[in-house]
Amino acid sequence: MRKSTHMMTALLAGTALALTGCTGGSQTAAQLDLQKEPEYSGTVSILTKFGGDPLEPYFEDLAAEYTKLHPEVSFELIQETDQSIKDKTKTLTASQALPDIYFTWAGNWANNFIDGGLAADLTQAIAPGTEWGSTFGESSLKAFEKDGKYFAVPLYNNGKFMGYNQKVFKDLGLNPPSTLEELISSCSVLRGAGYEPIAFGNKDGWPGLHYLQQLFAYEVPAEALEADFHPETAKLDDPGYLRAMQQFTGLINECTGSGKDSNGVLYTSAQQALATGTAGMYYQEVLEFDTTASEGSQLKNDGLGIFKLPASAAAKGDTKAIEGSPEGYLINPKSKNAALAVDFMKFATSKENATKLSAPPYGQPSAVKGVVSEQNSTGPVVEGIKQVNEASEAIIWLDSVTVPDVADAWLAGGEALVAGSQSPQQVLDAVRSASNAAK
Amino acid sequence: MVTRTSVLMVLGRVFVQAFLVALAIVVIYPLLWMLLNGVKSNSELFADPFAFPHAWRWENYVTAWNRGVGDYLTTSVLVTVASTVATVLISAWAAYGLTRVKIPFNRTILILILAGLMLAPTVALIPLVKMFQALGLYNSFWALLILYTAFRVPFTTFLIRAYMLDLPFEVDEAAAVDGASKARAFWQVILPMCRPIIISTILLNVLFTWNEYLFAMIFTSGGALQTLPVGLTNLMAKHGTDYPVVFAGMAIAAMPVIVLFFAGQRYFIRGLADGVGK
Amino acid sequence: MRKAARWRNLVWVLPAVLLLCVFCYLPLVQNLGFSLLKWDIYSGRQAFVGADNYVKMVNDPIFWKSLLNNTLYAGISIIFQVFGALVLAALVEGLPSSRWRGTLRAIYFVPSAISLTVAGLLFYFIYEPRMGILNAALETLGLGNFAQAWLGQENTAIFGIIAMSQWQGFGYCTLLFAVALQRIPSELFEAASIDGVGPVRRFFSVSLPLVREMSSLMMIVTVSGAFQVFNEVMVMTTGGPNNSSQVLGTWLYRSGFVRNDFGYAAAIATAVFVITLVLAVLQLWLARRRRVEW
Repeated sequence: MRKSTHMMTALLAGTALALTGCTGGSQTAAQLDLQKEPEYSGTVSILTKFGGDPLEPYFEDLAAEYTKLHPEVSFELIQETDQSIKDKTKTLTASQALPDIYFTWAGNWANNFIDGGLAADLTQAIAPGTEWGSTFGESSLKAFEKDGKYFAVPLYNNGKFMGYNQKVFKDLGLNPPSTLEELISSCSVLRGAGYEPIAFGNKDGWPGLHYLQQLFAYEVPAEALEADFHPETAKLDDPGYLRAMQQFTGLINECTGSGKDSNGVLYTSAQQALATGTAGMYYQEVLEFDTTASEGSQLKNDGLGIFKLPASAAAKGDTKAIEGSPEGYLINPKSKNAALAVDFMKFATSKENATKLSAPPYGQPSAVKGVVSEQNSTGPVVEGIKQVNEASEAIIWLDSVTVPDVADAWLAGGEALVAGSQSPQQVLDAVRSASNAAK
Repeated sequence: MVTRTSVLMVLGRVFVQAFLVALAIVVIYPLLWMLLNGVKSNSELFADPFAFPHAWRWENYVTAWNRGVGDYLTTSVLVTVASTVATVLISAWAAYGLTRVKIPFNRTILILILAGLMLAPTVALIPLVKMFQALGLYNSFWALLILYTAFRVPFTTFLIRAYMLDLPFEVDEAAAVDGASKARAFWQVILPMCRPIIISTILLNVLFTWNEYLFAMIFTSGGALQTLPVGLTNLMAKHGTDYPVVFAGMAIAAMPVIVLFFAGQRYFIRGLADGVGK
Repeated sequence: MRKAARWRNLVWVLPAVLLLCVFCYLPLVQNLGFSLLKWDIYSGRQAFVGADNYVKMVNDPIFWKSLLNNTLYAGISIIFQVFGALVLAALVEGLPSSRWRGTLRAIYFVPSAISLTVAGLLFYFIYEPRMGILNAALETLGLGNFAQAWLGQENTAIFGIIAMSQWQGFGYCTLLFAVALQRIPSELFEAASIDGVGPVRRFFSVSLPLVREMSSLMMIVTVSGAFQVFNEVMVMTTGGPNNSSQVLGTWLYRSGFVRNDFGYAAAIATAVFVITLVLAVLQLWLARRRRVEW
């Protein structure tokens, strides 16, 4: 026992030392001079969300071409996936090791970086009306605007749609439904014909969140919804939430193949089910259209059709809103190569490169104006972007629009709804208490 | 009466043997399933999980290798070799110092080193992230090398020290008479005598490093630096719909240590037994 | 001169001591400091908040859920990896053929040689409702009613993970017990045999008492491992669904790296430290006592 007593004493003494030694504080970044010609040398590090097939080569090719133009410049690419980029970004942020250019979603996710002084103010270069800025659709730029300043380079637009197998729908005499009730009744037709009506895999939790957020937009009045995203103003007492959650559990039980078991199914295996023609529908992002209906797949032969998740006939919110928002890249203001990084992003959003991005196999609809068109993008991508542009409002993903504690509570709640272990009221109560705690 | 008991005995023995063999099958079957799934096609995987493939698609293994498993494997080998060598050397030095050299505060230092055995890596995680960033070592090969070495030194020292204590001290005296310095005695006399325990600790450290996940996940990013355990989860995320390739990748990751275990079974068991038993 | 030489001898232990002080003990102490802070990772601002994080922890149902899951992990592991493995080791060592003994021990050990990541992924697929063999096997056996998404349900997820961990770890323990049993002088067994003592009583009256200390140690090793679980939960469920399979390690990670609350994560780390420290002191104490007895 004496040994351990010694050690405890040493530990306690050490603790006291550490407590007095805590320091912190942030530094404000020096203003970036974006008009200046960058020095074309050095290594630019980039954190992308393009990891894996088929997206990975896009940034690799861009980097190689840029190096061809400027041989002194080299690149360090960290390519993550949709799933892994969150953790990676947080780790890099916590350790103050963010690369020169890094991926961001719109909403609270981007605002954290902006407020923390980790995103360079790009207003001079990219605000609407500037030479570079006027090449983008204005709404894409606005998604990353804060207090009149512009921070991100929007790379592509996005929106969530129900994708369906056109041949299966035609064979069964089904039409894209215009109300949620119609959608649910078409599920039994599909099921009767031996198809899984809607493929759904919720192992990671966020696929369920995507349904919920779209349904919230339909059922909860816009002002209340917006206020509820911010813990300081959140009330989270609109009855629309409960209706939306009931609609969600209805969809899960009536339409998905795995039902309550969906929490054990991978997102990718649901995608696979639509691609191979065993499922009739699958709720997906525009970004996924060309991956799901890839060259040679059953779905490509049968034809991928899309429609907006229909609202209930009695919906009380904004039924013209669509879930989805542009995704962009921020520049690290502490980077030595910030000017070079900006120049690279200009290169990445040139008409030529934007066109390449919007075409198969990438199929990421560029935020650059006039690029997504029948000539270079697939039909569903063009249609999806058209509908996104026509929507009354773009509702940002639930897991990036609000603070992490609230998003995490929604995520857990969505899983509970799928499994049927909690009622909508219980989920709402849990989210409300998370929101109160995050004030 | 006697015959009845002996019949029971025989029955019991048969039952026990059947149970042991059945258990062995249950234990090994998932691994065989993994190997088999690695040579199937995606649709065969979903059709009948128990069936043999129609054609053996060994190319899945090649695909997995090319999709990053090859790189992860190289990184894993490098990290494992480097950290194992560092850990064993540093531990052997320390064990020698603690058992055969007169040093001040001998007891305190012994406690200091062995108390490290009690530390769960999770506890130090957050400060370590900050520290490595400050040192500029975050997301580098060095981060893993240092961490694996630091957290394995206590256990390794513990094992080697116990072994050295059992070596007769006359050996040192003989070496000293021959005029050998302490350093020469260590390299030429003591270390060779410790061969069995050194091999055991090498194997145990390989087992640990090869499979480590927490540090590897948090301290590295980007393909070039990722070890197999982290790389595999990436493979799953990036090529998630191509499950046979994921299975092939898992099989490639599992193989080296299994082979190593069968090759060095004797030393493995010795190390394990000494580790817990002493 | 002699004194100087003695100090110079410190060079032997210096690398080990430095490594440990800088990379194990210093972070441990810093962690205690962090647990008293509110730390915004984006701006880098840190504010002293006293015991707030600990108060939050005590009132956090997911923290208690995690602790419960770790405890379940420990309890089930004791049953299978300590008692189960001991019985198994005794059965294996009771086999007449040494070739069979060696082969079985080796087969049982193989899962311990593969990483928890591989084991976790593998079992993820075994439990998967669409392609997994567990549900398929249940169907084949006519137990189709029991087929379910094992990792997708709140009441089964943690057990699915624990079951995987038993598969992965029991062979390691069996091997260790086998070694311990081999160290028991064979005369003791022979004497018991001659006295007409059957195998079951022989196990209880000869084997069990002689490996009791080994069992206590294994128990502590197992329990302290159960409180450090991270990898398999991360790979198989990341703590879901609805946080039902969260353990202290993953909740720490999620609190810090997903929910941006590093101060709180540090407080959870302190809880892990206290638990493992208590277990380690217990282990030391047992080891000391055993040395006296032998």
